[in-house]
Formats: sequence, C-alpha cells, structure tokens
Amino acid sequence: MSAEAKPLPIIEVLNIKKRYGLIQALKGISFSVGKGEIVGFLGPNGAGKSTTLKILSGLIPADSGEAKVCGVDLAEEEGEVRNHIGFLPENNPLPEDLRVIEYLKFRAMLKGLKGSRKRDRIRIALDICDLERKVSERKIGNLSKGYRQRVGIADALLSEPRLVILDEPTIGLDPRQSAITRKMMERLRGEVSFILSSHILSEVEACCDRMIIISHGQIVAEGTLHELQNEFINKTIFEVVALSNRIDIHKKVREIDETCELLQDEPVEVSGKKRFIFSTEKGEVVAENILRHLLKDSNLRVFEFQITKPDLETIFLRATKKNWEQNDLLGKRSRRFYKENTI
Amino acid sequence: MINGYWVILRSELFSLFISPATYVSTFYFLALLGVGFRFFIESFIGTNWILPPLSSLAVGLIFGSPALIPFLTMRTLAEERRLGTLETLMSAPIEGSSIIIGKWSASYLFFLIICCGAYAYPLLLWILFPEQAQTLGFNHIEHWIGGFIFLMSFGASFTAIGIFASSVTRNQMVAGMLTFSLITLYLAIMAFSYGEPHQVASNNAYDQFLSSIGGSLNKGLDKLQFFAVGIIHIPTILHQFIVVFLFLTLATLQIERMRH
Repeated sequence: MSAEAKPLPIIEVLNIKKRYGLIQALKGISFSVGKGEIVGFLGPNGAGKSTTLKILSGLIPADSGEAKVCGVDLAEEEGEVRNHIGFLPENNPLPEDLRVIEYLKFRAMLKGLKGSRKRDRIRIALDICDLERKVSERKIGNLSKGYRQRVGIADALLSEPRLVILDEPTIGLDPRQSAITRKMMERLRGEVSFILSSHILSEVEACCDRMIIISHGQIVAEGTLHELQNEFINKTIFEVVALSNRIDIHKKVREIDETCELLQDEPVEVSGKKRFIFSTEKGEVVAENILRHLLKDSNLRVFEFQITKPDLETIFLRATKKNWEQNDLLGKRSRRFYKENTI
Repeated sequence: MINGYWVILRSELFSLFISPATYVSTFYFLALLGVGFRFFIESFIGTNWILPPLSSLAVGLIFGSPALIPFLTMRTLAEERRLGTLETLMSAPIEGSSIIIGKWSASYLFFLIICCGAYAYPLLLWILFPEQAQTLGFNHIEHWIGGFIFLMSFGASFTAIGIFASSVTRNQMVAGMLTFSLITLYLAIMAFSYGEPHQVASNNAYDQFLSSIGGSLNKGLDKLQFFAVGIIHIPTILHQFIVVFLFLTLATLQIERMRH
C-alpha cells in the first residue's frame, strides 16, 4: 500500500497574532492554501484581512505564530518569501510620472529579471492583463482606475510567482474591468495560487475555489461554497420583500416560529420596499406557514416571498453577525467598565 | 542586495534628470555661484583671504548647500510615502538599506555633478586666460583635488541628512525645510569657532575626549585650510563618513519601522 505524497501547501499559517497599539488586529488565525488554489478572503472593514495579507507578503511581521509561504518561514526569511510572491497592495499605489512599460521594467529589474527573460516576462504579463502596446506607452498618471489596477496585477505577475496576493483587486472597478481581472485569474488557474480579499461577494463566489471569512481578527468560516452551505447553514433561508419595518415583520414571523432569525442588521431597501432575509431550523413547511401568516396582515404589505439556498452573502452575514455581537458585547462591557472606573 | 541598489540608483538618477525642479535649482545655484566667484576673483587682491582663491568655490558650495541639497533629497522618500509607493517598493525582494543607500547615492552623485559644474568656472578661466589663472594659483592641481575632496566629504554627509529628513515625513516641503534647518545648524556649529586662534592643547583627558567626539562639528571649517592647499585631512573624512553612516542608518530604521 503506497500513500500518495501530498503536495506541500503554498501557504501554511498557524495561530498568527498581530497587535497595533491597543488594538488586537489578529487574534490567532490558522489556515492553509494549496498549490493552484484561488482563495477568497472575506470580512467586514477592520476585520484583519489586509493585515493578514501584508504579513503573508513579508511587508509586516506577525507578533507571534508561524507562517510559511512556499515552504519558507516568514519569521526567518521574509526577504526570500518576496522572491516567490506577487503582491498587489490595497489602493495599488503607483508612480504617476512613469510610463507603464518603464514602471514594469523597473519592477522587473528589482525582482532580479534581466535580458531576454525580463523582456519575455514583461510581454507575458502585459498580455495576461490585456494591456495592449498603446496603453503600455502611456503615463500611469493618465490611466483610468481599471488600467492602473491591471498595471498593478501585471507587476505582481512579473517574476513568475507561485503565489499572488491581491488586496481588494476589483475595488472601484466597473463590472467589465472586474470581469477582466477574473478572466486573468481563470487563465492562471492551477498554475499559480491566488489569495484575494474583496468586499464584492458575488465576485468571490464566482471565481474562488474556497473562501475564508474573517471577523474581528478571527476566522469565522472556511471552506468551499458548497461546504459552507452544508456545514455553516443547515437551515431554510427565505426572503421577504415588504413595506413593513424590521421590528414589526420580525415580531409577526416569530408568532409562527420562535427560533426564526433575521440575518441582517439593516435590510436592503429598493424603491421604498425592504428585503428581509430570515432563517428557520424548522424547514420549508414552516416557511410557507409564515408566508400565509404574513399575508393575513394587510399592514405589512408583502410583495415577494422566496425560499432560497443560502448564498455567500447570507453565509457572510450569518458568520460575521454572531462574532460581531460577541465583540460588540465585549466592547460595551469594557466601555462600561472604563466609564465606571473613571467617573 | 547589490542588484536592488543599482536599480534604485538608476531609477533615482533618472527621476532627478527628468525633474524640472532639479534643473531650475541647479541653474540658479550655479548662476549665483558663478557671479559670486567672478566678484571674488576680481577683488581677490584687495581681500585678506589667506587661502588659495580656488578655495572660495568650495566655501561657496558648502554654504550654498542648505539651499541646494533640499531640492535633491526632499522628494526621495517623502513623496514615496505620500503616494504609498514605498510600500509597493518594499514588497519587492529588496532590503530597506538598499533603498536608502540607492537613493542617497543618486542625490550624492547629482551633487557631485553640480560641483563639477561649479569647477568649470575656474577651468574655463584657466583655458581662456592662462596667465591670470597662473597668478591666482589655478595651476596647482593639489588645490583642485583638495577642494574637491573637501566637497565630496561634506556633500556626502549633507545629502545623508537630506535623505534622513525625507524619511521622517510624508510632506516634501517639510522634508525640505528640515534639511535646510539641519544643514544650516551643522554649518553654524562648524563655523562658530572658525578662525579663532588655537589654544594651547589641553592636557585634560576629558577636554580632549569632548573635542574628539565633536568630530567635524568642532572647528570643522578650519579643516578647509588643509584641503585648500592639497593636504588631505583623514580625520575630517572619517568624521563625515560617521555622519553619513549615522543618518543613513536612522533613515533605514525609519522606513523599517513602517513595517511594524
């Protein structure tokens, strides 16, 4: 019996912690990313996504814990790690007065590329990122946001990295530009591992093999979309579009099912109507009973009702809500403690 | 490390050569220096200047440095920090020290190019009016070399101060003002005791120790007397080397601190 050798993961993170002054940005997170995997890193603002990505790219050190990128220990050889990765920082700062081609040549030389290899890699990166010759001759300061982002990604791909870290790669881009970024990742799928952070859940859902949801410096969910649907929410999800307010509709729903939970803090409002997402543990029959009960009350004015499979947004809301409430409670306690002790 | 250093040096030199601010400041600086040098040479006989006339050029360059160096160094790190490109730069496989030394080398080389431009005045004078130039002692090659080495050593430390000032702020104007202030202070301390008669050497070990740690700050400009006549005063060069090392280390620590 011969066991097949398991390939080493590209990223191995074990219990890393990071503190900025009084704020504990990372409270001990652990995860791994396999070769050729595309992993989405999700989380609300201030969750610790960028901090994690900066640690992985060797830009900042972790306070404790262990992180290995491409088999290299970050604590010992953070400089060596930068040889294996491509990194697109948040907001993608670029020098305004250089031409695209000049900037890429400069970056290629910094990454130790020379001669024909440098020329080839620049050509390939420009091709992957759909940066045609005309654009490569333009000054970066005159480019649109989408093109600038593509220049940043082309830079990240220059040195044939085994891992590409993209911090908010599609922020501020129109759907067409976002699609180009997705296409670029699709083209390299299997060859290069990607880890990207994003707020655009539909995009992560469309292009990532696996998702990691982080909140308040902790991982609150991890897995493929299917795994998250099965393991994280084994409940029936239903959406109600109505003119009612949050408290009234929740009260009415609870008259049928006490355990029924409203997943959003604030429902999405579209042309005066509100879209509420509920979850129940009691199955679709109870959800249908709830619909009948809501329809009896004419004041609620129900327009739509739909039983759905939990999408990434629902999972994200569900995963971060509990963690958010816990942290908020802790925050309230500490604020009260501080107030009591200072007055 | 070496590869990163050369790439940064080339890129910084390129950006200095394409920057209009560098050309404007260099032009005005050299023009003013040229006018000053012309008047000094014309009235040299009537002055009680004890050093060779060529040394006036070194003095002019050194005292003009507070106005010139900020234009060469203020952008280097402050602008990168403001735009956030320093973070992108540091994501490449390159050490913080290579970034600092590369940027300093570029500013320093540009300063030396300006010094060469300044030395073109006496050179032209020598070519066009060889007899007058000989009267003024321009034919003593050791005066040229000594003066240039004096400028090389002080230029290195002044540009290092400029790089440090640029590393502590995101605003290039603040970096410029800080460079101006620090170099002016440095010159003021050096010039404070210039020309004072030498006291009898103190036997007190404490006084001797204080005097030695003062380095070039202690009667620094007096050392020009050696360089002006072609005597290379090694301790002065070493003192400037220490100043360069100190300020470049501080600048490196400053950008490494941003990682934490």
